[in-house]
Amino acid sequence: MIGSEGTRRPLAGSTFHVALALSVAFAVLAGAAGYWGVIRSAELVRAPDDAAVIAAARTVPRGRILDRSGTVLARNKADANGELYRVYAGPAISQVVGYASRQYGEAGLERAYDAELSGLAGDPLTDAFAKFGTNRYDPKDLTLSISYDLQKAAVSALGKHRGAVVMLDPRTGEVLALASTPTYNASTIANPATSQAAFAALQDDPAQPLLPRATLGRYVPGSVFKIVTAIAGLGSGAITPATTYKQQPGAEKNGLLLEGYRVHDGHHPQTGSKLLDLVGATEVSCNIWYALTGLRTGGADLVDYAERMGFGSAIPFDLPTAVSQVTNGDGKEPGGFVDDVELANAAYGQAETFVTPLQMALVAATVANDGELMRPRLVASMTGQRSGTRTIGSQSMGRVIPVADAEAIKAAMVQAVEGPLGRLFTTGAKVSGVTTAGKSGTAELGGSGEPHSWFIGFAPADNPTVAIAVLVEQAGRGGEVAAPIAGRLMTRYLQGGQ
Amino acid sequence: MAVRAPAAAPVTLPRVLGPIRPRARWQELRLLALVAGALAVGSLSLGTTVTGRFGLQDVRGLAVYLGALLVAHVAQVLAGRRTDQVLLPAVAMLGGISLLLMERLPQDLVVQHFFGSSYGLADVQLIWLVGAIAVATILGIVVRSDSWLRRYKYTWAAAGVGLLLLTFVLGTEINGQRLTLEFGPISGQPSELLKVILVVFLAGYLSENRALLVEQDTRVGPLRLPPLPYLAPMVAMWAIALGIVVVQRDLGAALLFFGVFLALIYAATGRLSLVLIGLVLFLLGSAAMANLFEHVRTRIDVWLDPFADPLGTGYQVIQALHAFARGGLLGVGLGAGLPEVGGRPPIPEIHTDFPFAALGEELGIVGLVAILGIYLVIVQRGLRIGVAAADDFRSLLAIGLALVIGIQAFIIAAGNLKVLPLTGVTLPFISYGGSSLLANGLVVGLLLALSDKGVEPPPPPGTQSRWRRLGRSGAA
Repeated sequence: MIGSEGTRRPLAGSTFHVALALSVAFAVLAGAAGYWGVIRSAELVRAPDDAAVIAAARTVPRGRILDRSGTVLARNKADANGELYRVYAGPAISQVVGYASRQYGEAGLERAYDAELSGLAGDPLTDAFAKFGTNRYDPKDLTLSISYDLQKAAVSALGKHRGAVVMLDPRTGEVLALASTPTYNASTIANPATSQAAFAALQDDPAQPLLPRATLGRYVPGSVFKIVTAIAGLGSGAITPATTYKQQPGAEKNGLLLEGYRVHDGHHPQTGSKLLDLVGATEVSCNIWYALTGLRTGGADLVDYAERMGFGSAIPFDLPTAVSQVTNGDGKEPGGFVDDVELANAAYGQAETFVTPLQMALVAATVANDGELMRPRLVASMTGQRSGTRTIGSQSMGRVIPVADAEAIKAAMVQAVEGPLGRLFTTGAKVSGVTTAGKSGTAELGGSGEPHSWFIGFAPADNPTVAIAVLVEQAGRGGEVAAPIAGRLMTRYLQGGQ
Repeated sequence: MAVRAPAAAPVTLPRVLGPIRPRARWQELRLLALVAGALAVGSLSLGTTVTGRFGLQDVRGLAVYLGALLVAHVAQVLAGRRTDQVLLPAVAMLGGISLLLMERLPQDLVVQHFFGSSYGLADVQLIWLVGAIAVATILGIVVRSDSWLRRYKYTWAAAGVGLLLLTFVLGTEINGQRLTLEFGPISGQPSELLKVILVVFLAGYLSENRALLVEQDTRVGPLRLPPLPYLAPMVAMWAIALGIVVVQRDLGAALLFFGVFLALIYAATGRLSLVLIGLVLFLLGSAAMANLFEHVRTRIDVWLDPFADPLGTGYQVIQALHAFARGGLLGVGLGAGLPEVGGRPPIPEIHTDFPFAALGEELGIVGLVAILGIYLVIVQRGLRIGVAAADDFRSLLAIGLALVIGIQAFIIAAGNLKVLPLTGVTLPFISYGGSSLLANGLVVGLLLALSDKGVEPPPPPGTQSRWRRLGRSGAA
């Protein structure tokens, strides 16, 4: 350190300080690497915008979706870059399977089962070792309980109408068909080449084709809700199948005076001034009898029994469901009704009562399955290459009413389809050669528009294997539009050997 | 200035090379063997991951690179100088990591055409890496005098500023930044060369005025400040460089120049007050620039919260953080990370601005710490060379050159890790880019030359002061 000019002021001290500062700065870098690489790692690598997650979605073949007989409903296709996109069997299934699109995310089962289909979901232990293997992901194929043939039949039966069909096996809760119209072609959304234009057009369509009406549409139920009232009345012990009301024949002519308001009826002159019981009132769809039954049952029990079947909360299901309601629930009377007028009207489905088609199918299934409700489900099994096949069993949502009560309602519903007067309301609902049970509904909307056309039912009545709910938006009377669709579809299912 | 030929030397080559008397460099050879082994294992790991078969990735590239290292080593042995034996292996390791990284990235990120055939990313990078090693080795052998730097520091400074101005006027705009100068097929980024020129100038000026800066004070009331007038020409030089760089939107270079400037002033004077004044000025300047310039404000906003605009301005930074997250402690392995989306790597500009994040994903935190350690080794060697040098100019030159490497690595690594706002400087010896590699090769070459105690002795103080007077009057 001795320069030619003699003694130099040493640099070593200050240089050491600089070196120390730089070392501290580098230590900060190591600390930051630890922060992002360890502390924040788990959160970042699972984020949907992580490149590995996106790349896996494009390169790891997503699990297929199959119907109950093995028909492929959703499969993969490679684009020009070798990256994969989804192709679907057809528009009939779109409302169930949904879509998986790079631009617009997922909908339907593609969304609900995204983790299983993409193979990202698994148990942490297997995943930790999978990191070192060649196939890191274990995508699973979904096998649905749906019959694609029946689904297509349901969609074509609805035709140009807006509406929904829900068919399920009341014994197991397996959904056989879940149709909503209008539907859309999910393949156009999934295909990156057509995605943008297709999605924009669908979003702008006033018919709302992207809305799965069967699960997310909420409708005034009209007379199909009477089955709920019957369940609540019998289940709570407020009525028996033999219950009659003295004031019923008179009220049919003059209306039922409640708190200064008249509840009107009057569309079944065939029974004259006869006192009706459960079977008779159901056969001719007597509003007065059901209004009186609702009043006798009380709002609290009516809401309670409805909730046992899924009202008041989202139905536990593979797809998102809208909440069905008996009343708004902001009134002071028991059950949340505003007054007896609302309760009486709700008892025959014309107050602040809104239901999804799926919910009404569950009501029919409850009666069909002798009062016990099975959890509805779409996915029958999942099969992964590594994890094997897992079958999803049926699950009870609890007993709603005793068997005897269910039998009484069943008898009434059979009369509504097969009885001499009932036939007039449910033309075409009968499955030929099979005892059929059901109830039609004509939901008045209050305005000038046509009513919603409803039908719920099941067959064969003595040992039901299929329950159905059909809704057709603003199509007219239940017996004229919805009932024949239900009859055709149940016939197809029962005679198709499915 | 003539080199006195030792009596024992049988052969006398032209004076620039000196007599040939081979001297073994065992330490360097051992370390290079270690580097070669590490790179072979890395290449094996990469090749096996990428192809799925047990084998090296790009045998030819690895052979060319290791061959170049061997030639560099043998050349230094033959030259017989007692220069540093750790610098070349350390740089070789970083360059080798760079080569492996460029081999595993999509080759069409860069396509260059030379003599009718086209070369992809790894090929071009290999050419520049060999070029950088050649520059370092040749300078380390040939440079035996520093007078060409010492005497003409203002000329160098003027040339540097001129180069920048030329870039500003004639440069080609890439990504909204006018950093590149093109002459026919040759293009380069002058700011890479400018950082070396800056260090030469600062070393020259500080070494001449060091005694004054340390001993004299400017009294402002009760405050005892350093002699501000003596800092004026230096600050002016710095301000010109900084100003041009800011106008050119090259914030990274500005940050680098500033960091080197402050560190070198502290190393020369040991006065913390100068550094504090500089930091205050820097903060004021940053605040003013953030108010004046949209692009500066954007960088700072992205730094504070990249997740505010995850698909827009924050995208690059967020994707880099995801890369560190995917890598975790041990990394996913060479070739196994960096998932491609739409055929592109996950981070835009990964080969120039984000190699640190790419290595973080594939080599993990363990790999990053090792790489940071290699940079610290280079800095430590440089600082040692500086402290041991024969006079202040050589000391400060070596310290400054070492700090250029260290601070530049810190700035871009910190930008990748969201410790500092992201600025587009290269990661020395690892980022893709000819200008950067050649300039850093120049830095290492000068350090090698300075590490030899057998170089020409510094000029006596008298001549030095004459040049200083001339220099100062020239700058005034």
